[in-house]
Amino acid sequence: MPLFEGLSYGGEKTAVIFDIGVAFTKCGFAAENAPQFIIPTEVRKRKTGQLVNIHKCCSETPQDLRSVLVDFVHRLYFRQLLVNPKERRVVIVESMLTTTTHFRNTLADVLFKHYEVPSVVFAPGHLVCLFTLGVSTGLIMDVGYTETTVMPVFEGTAILKAWQALPLAGKAIHDYLEASLKESSSVEGGESGDKPISSFMDSIDESILEDIKVRCCFVTSHERATMYNANEVSTSPLEGPPAVRYPLKGDRVATISGKIRERTCEVLFEEDCEGRSLASLILDAILQSPIDMRRTLAENLVIIGGTSMLPGFNHRLRSELYAHLKQPPYSEKLSLPAFKFHKYPAKANYVAWLGGSMLGALETLASKSVTKEAYTLQPLIPDWCSLYVAEEKEKVVGATKKLEAGSRPLSSKKLSSSLSVDSSPRSSVSSAARAAARSIAGILSSASVDSNATPKSS
Amino acid sequence: MATFVTEDRVLYAASSGAKAPLCRLYFCRHCLKIRSTNCVSHEVDSLYCPNCLENMPTNEASLKKYRCSNCFDCPTCCHTLSTRATTIPMPDRDQPGKIVPKKVYYLACGFCRWTSRDVGMKDQLVAGGGWQNQENPHDKRIFYLLDHFRQLAAKEKAEKEKKKYIRRRSHLHLSDKFGLSSVAARRRSGLLSVGSPSMKESEDVKIQDIEPNIASEDVDDQLDDSIFTQELDLSKVTNIKQRHANPDVQPMKTTDLYPKHKHLLIKCSQRCRECEHNLSKPDYNPHSIKFKIQLVALHHVPDLKMMSFPSLILNKESQVVLIVLNPLDTLVHMTLLPLEKEKDDWSTAKIVIPSCELLLSPRDDAADFDENTDQKQAFKDNTSVVVFRKANRLAFLIKVIPQSQDEEVKVAFQMKYDYRNLASALQQTEGKEPEMVWLQHSVFLNLGRLTPQS
Repeated sequence: MPLFEGLSYGGEKTAVIFDIGVAFTKCGFAAENAPQFIIPTEVRKRKTGQLVNIHKCCSETPQDLRSVLVDFVHRLYFRQLLVNPKERRVVIVESMLTTTTHFRNTLADVLFKHYEVPSVVFAPGHLVCLFTLGVSTGLIMDVGYTETTVMPVFEGTAILKAWQALPLAGKAIHDYLEASLKESSSVEGGESGDKPISSFMDSIDESILEDIKVRCCFVTSHERATMYNANEVSTSPLEGPPAVRYPLKGDRVATISGKIRERTCEVLFEEDCEGRSLASLILDAILQSPIDMRRTLAENLVIIGGTSMLPGFNHRLRSELYAHLKQPPYSEKLSLPAFKFHKYPAKANYVAWLGGSMLGALETLASKSVTKEAYTLQPLIPDWCSLYVAEEKEKVVGATKKLEAGSRPLSSKKLSSSLSVDSSPRSSVSSAARAAARSIAGILSSASVDSNATPKSS
Repeated sequence: MATFVTEDRVLYAASSGAKAPLCRLYFCRHCLKIRSTNCVSHEVDSLYCPNCLENMPTNEASLKKYRCSNCFDCPTCCHTLSTRATTIPMPDRDQPGKIVPKKVYYLACGFCRWTSRDVGMKDQLVAGGGWQNQENPHDKRIFYLLDHFRQLAAKEKAEKEKKKYIRRRSHLHLSDKFGLSSVAARRRSGLLSVGSPSMKESEDVKIQDIEPNIASEDVDDQLDDSIFTQELDLSKVTNIKQRHANPDVQPMKTTDLYPKHKHLLIKCSQRCRECEHNLSKPDYNPHSIKFKIQLVALHHVPDLKMMSFPSLILNKESQVVLIVLNPLDTLVHMTLLPLEKEKDDWSTAKIVIPSCELLLSPRDDAADFDENTDQKQAFKDNTSVVVFRKANRLAFLIKVIPQSQDEEVKVAFQMKYDYRNLASALQQTEGKEPEMVWLQHSVFLNLGRLTPQS
């Protein structure tokens, strides 16, 4: 009802929403239906003048990361959004699995201390993208740049023990594309006739790879992929798609064969030595969820992330899922009648941002955020794996050290085997912290689940 | 000129400890401290369109999503579009059957030759244009969802407040034994009669169940068979930048590219974090490059420069000529002091600092043209230190003994000078003389590498 609008919200300016992805950053205002800008997560370093990705600075010293983040946030506020940081609350949409404690703490420090924002909330991207659907249960797969992560959410609560991740995403495609271009592509033009691409380029620039991926490549159908794989060595009976002449710098033109166009994205669906691919990620996540939730989860698949916008991606994923289901080990353990996909009112690369935008538009935003006052008293940001409770300061100080050690494997590439590592520090968190964790989940769910809007008190 | 070109040679320490060239620092004349870009807070001062240089008030800008309503960017190359006029024959409105030439307008890019006719946009009859904006196809659904969540949030908030209210009531019951019950009861009933209608209303609001999104087995991106047979024309496929320029639609084909309103730019003002005074405030008018307040350090702190590259030999005393420029319109008494050892993480060489006081004559814009004045006599300089002086410029010698073979020769010292504090004089009663204060700044010099020995 419009009755409620403007009652207590009138004086306050709309919040700003940031989704700082590894490759691209989405920024905009709350209650808008799309971000204002999608820009590369890059900043020019003051010392060297080079463009660097801010996530690559994570390994550097805290001062370096801080100065890079200061410059990047400055760009977001003063070149893109054009608003004063002091006047608006901030919603940061982040992936629960990939952001490191180091990064989010530095970001919070930059926002509170340097830009003096009134409040910040770190919203888990997997959860908030359910806001855009109006449902409270779903299996969310985020196919981003470095990693693909899968997180089942049931009635607004993330099933943490069932998350899955693999480093199969945009970056993997780029690496594969570079290797196959170097191996087989030839370049004409220049001083002398045809030459292999590797003769004058040691490494191909990432922006060129991305452009080739976006404009030329696609995800082929399951039938064609199996036919390819069946006669790997002998000449394929299939007629590939036509080759593309791709202009490079100067008068050079590279020929990108149909094989490269069609088969580059196969890297996402080829099984690795452990038999894991994107399809098996989803099935593993379902398998690790409680048995009574499995069917509901399979019927509420949400595929987000920029890489999933490749032509043919969702169609291929669906056929892969059905094909995997018929094969062991899933054929023995899982019996699912159908996989159903959600269509969200957005483009796949900013669904999580849109969820954040809806969260930021609500009156309850203030009660869920960490305010500047609270942060100045205690400069810590609560995390699902390291909650901080004031009364138990001494106890937790020891625990957080352990937690940081435990949360590091989350961001590393070997996510698959670190389940046991990450669950152990969580059990060392005090019971009060766990209660608080539940209430955070409760708050988030109460807004997305229908009328039981009462938050559980902690 | 040298100030901006060799800016990494002479660095000043800001109050936060950061080192930066003087031209990148501010001087807060209220705190009397040097401020770096990190110890000032930036603020959006005014918004304007970089193409038409038209100011836009903040409220209007936020309604228009911070974009100019008149100017457009080319969707393919991001260059500014210009409006072109042409005449086309059109049937006359008054006399049917008769065809008259009419003036129409369309948008064209002067850089990549894209025109609004390429994508089938209709020509406009007025130059200002009534160009249609692209709508997000999901507007309705998003608005519906948002509306629903807002109701839930409002209910959640109301319930929280109700809890507070009930707790207060229970305290009133406790006070019974002091014989206040009747008073409390009366007050309560009064309160309730006032408060109840609105309370009831918010309780009774039934929030309708949301229409959840229905998942389906279908996916909509099945490949068309033509992709395997048809040649791909690269010029018809958009690149990722063109797609991201319009996040709502993100068109895949160049035939779906529509012009986007030009994004605004801002004029920024800087404020001292400590005393919250403005350090820099630009003129409101976007045409103007002037400032209302401009407290850059270059105008308030004596500016040190190296006159030339000195010859530096390991473990030998060498002389370095520095020039100092007085930007103030008062006579400045400057002395150089060594930097405390514990603060010094910079030096790689020993420095011998002149012990005498250096007198800097005030800045006078006309002095440069006045060749007759011989200032040497007026100031009685110590000739072993002062090399020459001209107007508000003074060249003097320091001695440096390089200590390390491989590193660049770096020295640091402090600069102490008197400054007329105009800010405090303004605050105090009139007629009082401006107070003179002594200011001290740390200066860091990078003299470059050792001179190669032949």
